[in-house]
Amino acid sequence: MGNTIRRPMSLMKIFLVEDNELYAKATKHHLSLNPDNQVEHFVSGKSCLEKLYLQPDCILLDYSLPDLSGIDVLKKVKSSQPDLPVIIVSGQEDVATAIDLLKEGAYDYIVKDENSKERIWKAINNLRENAKLRNELDRLREEVNSKYDFSSIKGSSLPLKKVFKLIEKAIRTNITVSISGETGTGKELVAKAIHYNSKYKKAPLVTVNIAAIPKELLESELFGFEKGAFTGAISKRIGKFEEANGGTLFLDEIGEMELSLQAKLLRIIQERVVTRIGSNKEIKVETRIIVATHRNLKEEVAKGNFREDLYYRLLGLPVELPPLRKREAEIILLAKFFLKRFVEENQIEELRISDQAQTKLRTYSWPGNVRELKAVIELAAVLAEDGVIEEKDLNFNTVGDELDNLVSEGLTMKDYNRKLINYYLKNHNNNVVEVAKLLDIGKSTLYRMLKNKELTVN
Amino acid sequence: MADKVYDLIQLDELSGGDQDFINMMVATFLEHTPGQLEELLKAQASNDMVTFGAISHKIKPNIDMFGIKKIIKDIRDLEQLGKAGQNNSELQTKLANVEAELNIAFEQLRQR
Repeated sequence: MGNTIRRPMSLMKIFLVEDNELYAKATKHHLSLNPDNQVEHFVSGKSCLEKLYLQPDCILLDYSLPDLSGIDVLKKVKSSQPDLPVIIVSGQEDVATAIDLLKEGAYDYIVKDENSKERIWKAINNLRENAKLRNELDRLREEVNSKYDFSSIKGSSLPLKKVFKLIEKAIRTNITVSISGETGTGKELVAKAIHYNSKYKKAPLVTVNIAAIPKELLESELFGFEKGAFTGAISKRIGKFEEANGGTLFLDEIGEMELSLQAKLLRIIQERVVTRIGSNKEIKVETRIIVATHRNLKEEVAKGNFREDLYYRLLGLPVELPPLRKREAEIILLAKFFLKRFVEENQIEELRISDQAQTKLRTYSWPGNVRELKAVIELAAVLAEDGVIEEKDLNFNTVGDELDNLVSEGLTMKDYNRKLINYYLKNHNNNVVEVAKLLDIGKSTLYRMLKNKELTVN
Repeated sequence: MADKVYDLIQLDELSGGDQDFINMMVATFLEHTPGQLEELLKAQASNDMVTFGAISHKIKPNIDMFGIKKIIKDIRDLEQLGKAGQNNSELQTKLANVEAELNIAFEQLRQR
């Protein structure tokens, strides 16, 4: 519905336009049996049209009014509020008129007879259910939009501000966006921020990870197919381009696409039409395209792995996400952002990050980039006590620097084991049971090593 | 008193037996329908069949709602004849039926 004022979901404001006093009173009485129906009665088409600014949820319109015909009122309503449902109630069953009215956008055509009150009741209830679903959809959309409201990251550092500026430029236009960056730098997050803040947000964001789809299936996945197009095509299926029509298609890991398919992709981007496999029919698609890759596409072009013409087509607005290790100033900023969101989502007490913990975060190399930082912070928030995240709460469980260092030290297997266990004990509050479980070794082994002073416990 | 020519079962069902509502509907019927009948007769007398058809159309749901069964079909025929512009003997006979039955209904409803 086009209404901007949101009433409680079940409440329905109904305009009843009926010049027959008796019929109007009977209908109003019947509808008012449900206290969620608010019925306002008008005796003429004009008086109803004058009050449309009150934003009814639906109109019950008598076809034969003294001033205007039902179809005239319907047309006027639809020209100002196209989404407002109008139920025509007529004293006469006239199929041709009914068809004309439905073509003009009437929601239903009900004949005044002994069953009319039930039919009106049902139609209103259906509208109420539809409104509930629409409200729910709007709520979910708002929730998703706010989730990707990147402006909530305050006091951003220079590199991040630069990225935000580019995102803002992308939001305002329909330009193709190419995002590059190492794994975990937040390429998909940028794609989502662009989509959910752009004019395309009411249609879906469809993500396709090119690297995750077997090569032989990618073409049908992207373009769809007709029934019988190939063995196994038992029914028609639309492709991701069509699915994203009116919205955004995010092609992740575009650098993994085969050359033969790149030619087809180029044609679609140039001509904005797709052809399903097994069909000659061209289908127009209005889809914003965002691509991402961890590869250097220019180098791939030079190697002959990526079409040059497609490269320039896709380049559009390039957004480069530098690895987190090169954005030291942002580590704490992002850590605080992820922490705040985690605290809000889980409704736990507010947490701060101690100075020592901040130093530990800043000095780590973050091979898994932002994704890893988020995981580390979320785990730390769970482990933290007394409202503070301390050094001990930060577990870099991805094979990180500390273990890398072990290799360079030229130790024996026994030493490796001892160091590994010590590392886990240190990061798990010397909890022997937990570490034994994590490393899949017996508790008694750990206790024996402790007894033999092979392990250090503070 | 003669048998009732009307039947309030529809109103009874609609209101769940709410007598106040039924009384209000009867009062509204008695307030509007005699005037509509008068206009219908005038339209026929002046051969204004467009108005005749339109008024028949308006009276029709009232007759249905008050269960005045004997003229449920007649009022529909009058509407069609009026819209077809046929001010003939058939129309006059049916109009006489409607007038007589409605007048009985008005009287009975006033005295209920």
